[in-house]
Amino acid sequence: MLEIKDLHVKFHNRDREAVSGVSLTIEDGEILGLVGESGSGKTVTAMSIAGLLPRKQCRTSGEVLFEGYNLLTADRKILRSLQGKKIGVVFQEPMSAMDPLMRVGEQVGECLRIHTDLTKEERRERVLKSLEEVDLPDPESVYTKYPHELSGGMLQRAMIAAAIVIRPSLLLLDEPTTALDVTIQAQILELLKRLNKDLGISMLFISHNLNVVRKICRRVAVMQRGELVETGSTEQVFFHPEHPYTKHLIESIPTRDKRKENA
Amino acid sequence: MKYTAKKIVLMLVTMILVSFLTYTAFELVSGDPAQAMLGTEATPARLAALREELGLNRPFLIRYFSWLGGLFTGNLGVSFSYKLPVWQLIAPKIEVTLWLCLISFILITVISLPLGIWSYRRSGKIWDFMHTAFNQLCMAIPPFFIGILLSWGFGIVLRVFTPGNLPDLHAHFFDAIRYLFFAAVCLAIPRSAMTVRMMRSTVIGEMEQAYVRTAISRGNDRRAVLTRHVLKNSLVPVVTFLGQTMAELIGGSIVVEQVFGIPGLGRFLVASISNRDYPVVQAIVVILAFWVVLTGTAADLVNQRIDPRLRLEGKR
Ligand SMILES: Nc1ncnc2c1ncn2[C@@H]1O[C@H](COP(=O)(O)OP(=O)(O)OP(=O)(O)O)[C@@H](O)[C@H]1O
Ligand SMILES: [Mg+2]
Repeated sequence: MLEIKDLHVKFHNRDREAVSGVSLTIEDGEILGLVGESGSGKTVTAMSIAGLLPRKQCRTSGEVLFEGYNLLTADRKILRSLQGKKIGVVFQEPMSAMDPLMRVGEQVGECLRIHTDLTKEERRERVLKSLEEVDLPDPESVYTKYPHELSGGMLQRAMIAAAIVIRPSLLLLDEPTTALDVTIQAQILELLKRLNKDLGISMLFISHNLNVVRKICRRVAVMQRGELVETGSTEQVFFHPEHPYTKHLIESIPTRDKRKENA
Repeated sequence: MKYTAKKIVLMLVTMILVSFLTYTAFELVSGDPAQAMLGTEATPARLAALREELGLNRPFLIRYFSWLGGLFTGNLGVSFSYKLPVWQLIAPKIEVTLWLCLISFILITVISLPLGIWSYRRSGKIWDFMHTAFNQLCMAIPPFFIGILLSWGFGIVLRVFTPGNLPDLHAHFFDAIRYLFFAAVCLAIPRSAMTVRMMRSTVIGEMEQAYVRTAISRGNDRRAVLTRHVLKNSLVPVVTFLGQTMAELIGGSIVVEQVFGIPGLGRFLVASISNRDYPVVQAIVVILAFWVVLTGTAADLVNQRIDPRLRLEGKR
């Protein structure tokens, strides 16, 4: 589905490479987890897949192969024809990732407007259906709302609806649940699992929390300071970590008891 | 519509407050109008009679409210110097100045909005330099200087208009507008430069926002990102700025009216101040203050139409 070969990304204003030598594959229909602490290069990796790296501000090498194109060097036109249509992205902060002045329905239907010839009415139908798919109550009213009128959890659902409205083959989820509270987080994870199973969308699920990743990914990759330190099945990485950094990550997961103490 | 009503009520309250302060201030500085009208030789009996006639013996608040009512009915007292009703004196001048400001405002809008976007699209070292240099130049040239140049070039050399002789707005509307146009250009140039600069920096700032990345991730091209998302988001500060511009144009018009010999409000204000014609000065000051409040409210209302978040400010 997607193959990353020896990806290097270096921003001109940084000394160290943000991503150095990452090779990864995402198989058809799988949810691949990508974990690592803050600044380890998870977002940069996802952005290079989505064609969202500011090309002027950084230098890249390696290959990101998708549908026969190398996304790092592909023509902008080709990139745009894949963005939104084949590759959907869900960002971490739903509130700032949405245009505050555009109605939610219109934003959810944006991919359809760009990539299809559907009429406004047909688009509306599809958007309402998509809003329903992500379990948003009362899609009709959500459609006409502005982002600030929805809660964080509802917005994140709307973001997911916007990404899946056109049925992409790959969904990049950059810490989609970090800004949400635990119950809503669990609901969103369930939703993603269901979409993965029902629609067969492959996903890259980014998180700094191994525990969350364990709930929905069969395979996980661990990043540290721009490098991939470990890849394997979630169970294996979780119970028999090979790399000391992974061990450290697992130890730093708050256990249930600790979380209660903090609460 | 609740928020609109709220804004308008707020505006009216501000206006009343402003008018009260102005009235009080003038009451304190202007002394006895009867004395001012009759001069120092007047007999006490005549003074008393005139005071009675002008209603100066009534309590302060009563006089204030009757003056406030006069603001809306056009009964603003009598000018000391011209012995004519104030409203009759200033109404034609308000008309001239309003046209001047309106033309200028339209110029600023139609020049600076496209230019702001254009200057955003042209970025890079050389463009940035050229843009900044030209911008600084436009802002630095004082309007009166452009005014002198324009009235020499178009007035005296090309004879497009006759400097110092504004055609009557009612009898020769288009001639008058053509005359005012050149004055409006002087007012518009520095303000347009400022608007372009602020527009450019606003758009650059908006481009950094996270929603832009979302828009690109959906396959929008550069143009669609700009027209469908960024421009609308950049509009709120620009509208606020244009509102202030509309308010400040009146101030700027004072100078330009002098240069072009336009019998407008600013010029009349200056003359009335030197004549100590308090009823006139008082009326003009209040009208200018109202103008500032009005333009501010108008900008707020437009912004509420653009940005739904501004509609619930009060609720939070
Ligand atoms: N536009 C940019 N310009 C310069 N440096 C950048 C830019 N974007 C990211 N970086 C740098 O690249 C490195 C990796 O950042 P990245 O955002 O991928 O981390 P992350 O793993 O997603 O962290 P987090 O969990 O905090 O989101 C960081 O050191 C960051 O400072
Ligand atoms: Mg990140």
